[in-house]
Amino acid sequence: MAGTIRAQYPATIRPIRINCTGRVTPSLMMRAIGKGADGVIVAG
Amino acid sequence: MLQTARTPGLNLHTYSEVEEVTGFVGNFKVRIRKKARYVNNECNGCGACWEVCPAYGYNEFNEGLDPRKAIYASFAQAVPMLAQIDMTKCIKCGLCEKACEVDAIDFDQEDEILDIEVGSIAVATGWDEYEPETGYLGYNVYPNVITQLKLERILAPNGPTIGHLKRPSDGKTPKSVLFIQCVGSRDLTRQTYCSAGVCCMISVKNTKLIKQHAPDIDVTVAYMDIRAAGKDYEEYFTASRKEGIKYIRTNVSRLQEDPETHNLKVVLQNTVGTTGLKEFEYDLVVLSSAMVPAKGIEKLASILKLEKSHDGFFKEYHARLNPIDTKIPGIVLAGVSQGPKAISDSITQGRAAASSLARLMMKDKYRILLIRATVDNEKCAKCGLCQLNCPYDAIKVESDGAEVNEILCRGCGACLANCPSEAITLRYYREPQYETQIDAILEEI
Repeated sequence: MAGTIRAQYPATIRPIRINCTGRVTPSLMMRAIGKGADGVIVAG
Repeated sequence: MLQTARTPGLNLHTYSEVEEVTGFVGNFKVRIRKKARYVNNECNGCGACWEVCPAYGYNEFNEGLDPRKAIYASFAQAVPMLAQIDMTKCIKCGLCEKACEVDAIDFDQEDEILDIEVGSIAVATGWDEYEPETGYLGYNVYPNVITQLKLERILAPNGPTIGHLKRPSDGKTPKSVLFIQCVGSRDLTRQTYCSAGVCCMISVKNTKLIKQHAPDIDVTVAYMDIRAAGKDYEEYFTASRKEGIKYIRTNVSRLQEDPETHNLKVVLQNTVGTTGLKEFEYDLVVLSSAMVPAKGIEKLASILKLEKSHDGFFKEYHARLNPIDTKIPGIVLAGVSQGPKAISDSITQGRAAASSLARLMMKDKYRILLIRATVDNEKCAKCGLCQLNCPYDAIKVESDGAEVNEILCRGCGACLANCPSEAITLRYYREPQYETQIDAILEEI
């Protein structure tokens, strides 16, 4: 999406493709934090 | 309309409303309420009843310009040609019953509920004319400010004035008429969209009709743009200007009524020239009001669980690539239900809708993607949280666990996210897949 609008974002933001935001569980978000991520953005 | 009603195998339910729709493509169950007309099918539309009826009501077909009786036919060309009684106006005097020669009046008639099964649904709910709020450009305050539909009924040869151009305040023929375009359209505080240039061409047509009545009537159109995009439209517009109809590119700055003559004093500006603001006086003002979704569309949207676009019309599958289907398999949009458009485009859309359904129903099978939820019944505690959270009614708790309807399911994963027993898996988007991705991305941290 960012590519099509030619927007730039820092390389420290890593996207993971999901089919629907309804799919995101708290356990997945906590796993990311637990593995060292500073935060989780759920966008869509 | 008559041909449609006579088509063999076609069941026409008029004066009816859809109350409930359940199921999915190929297997919809529809509940229809046929409202009581208090007239049975013996009626042949002869009109003996409404001739003797003493009670009156608002004539919707003639935009309230003249009354109709409590027992009436919707309009002269109604299909089927049956009378109906407006019980809010009927005084139950029984004169109609006495006058009727085929025993068609039935005061004891009740609403009928029909439960039918259909394979697919086409939504063709059309549009209504935007009703400006009281006072906007004098609407509903000054009698000589009317909307296009009212003008159409006045100009119609079978209308309340038999086609004579008479203005509401005194029934005189106006010597000057102003059309104001884009009333309620292209308006940041009302409807932001353009009504597809329909109102532009309606004005071009109606100005021509007015000139036909009396060539010396001064006709002016105050417009923002004239959208004449359609076959022969531009040529029609050019011919209109050649006939002497004045087109001024302007919004209306102020509209006031002269309380004695009921004429309208309107301040206009010629933005194409340099004349600045000037006040003109008109005997009649016609508002080209926007096309808005038909009344009652909210109710239907929730019955069908159909999304609406931000403009209020139903949401199509894709605005550019597929404006016919909806996101619900088996439900398509015909005509203006999808958005404002003129006659030829409505027909095109209607035929496309029918064709889409025909393609669907011709096959015995329906193809789906595999991205669907599956339940491990060993883990399922039958708590019902999945059923509560599913936006598509696709998962239900049964005796041995939760069951997914693979056609209704759209693979959103809301059930999965809510399941406390982690009993649900979404094919192609499984938990281990995401876990691996997260681990890999955050490996170096």
